Amino acid sequence: MFVRSAKRPFGRSLSPATARGLVIALYALYPIGCVLQLIADETATGDALRIAGLSLVVAAFVAFAVLAGSSLQRQAQEPETLLDERELADRNRAAYQAHSVFAGVVLLSLIYLMLRQDLSDNRNFELWAPATGDHWNAVFWGAAMLAMTLPAAFLAFRKSHADEDMGE
Amino acid sequence: MSRRELAEAVGVNPQTIGYLERGDYAPSVELALKIAAVFSAPVEVLFSLEPFPPLARTVTKQGDS
Repeated sequence: MFVRSAKRPFGRSLSPATARGLVIALYALYPIGCVLQLIADETATGDALRIAGLSLVVAAFVAFAVLAGSSLQRQAQEPETLLDERELADRNRAAYQAHSVFAGVVLLSLIYLMLRQDLSDNRNFELWAPATGDHWNAVFWGAAMLAMTLPAAFLAFRKSHADEDMGE
Repeated sequence: MSRRELAEAVGVNPQTIGYLERGDYAPSVELALKIAAVFSAPVEVLFSLEPFPPLARTVTKQGDS
């Protein structure tokens, strides 16, 4: 998903440090925020944890929104005919790496769920799995953001210089 | 000639010209031929097995001689 603005049709140019910071913030804050909200459901100090968790999730969505309008996301999502050969070469490499990582995450998740099923008889070793609508909502949006931003994340970590901002 | 002008002349993103200048990207033969045509230079001058010396050093040497 690339959000194109009239002011910056080629997306906002980010420095390598900013781009990497946004990616790390997105991938770290979202799961931490979700886990805090999950813990909040089971503790007495639930409200404080819930607010902290929600704040982290909102911060992650802000990072996602900035990335969605960036030149990295444009490079990752733009149709091939609108990219030049260097952008395409970089995008193809990043897409391959993103595919590998995403497939790995899916495979590990399935192994986890299988393991949970196998251990379901053991009362002393119970593994968590999404059960409620809120849980599945959190998993869905996490997976969706991961799928939408992974290629841009690899581009961010490959980037060595701040690009010229072409929108101004 | 600015990056933007060269990029428009050869049909690439101006950022790509920056990548070429820094040696972060090796152009395809097609792009190299287009760039060579813009400067009316033979395409061989765009490729080298050895890294090109910094432009500033080349200009300084020319100024000294």
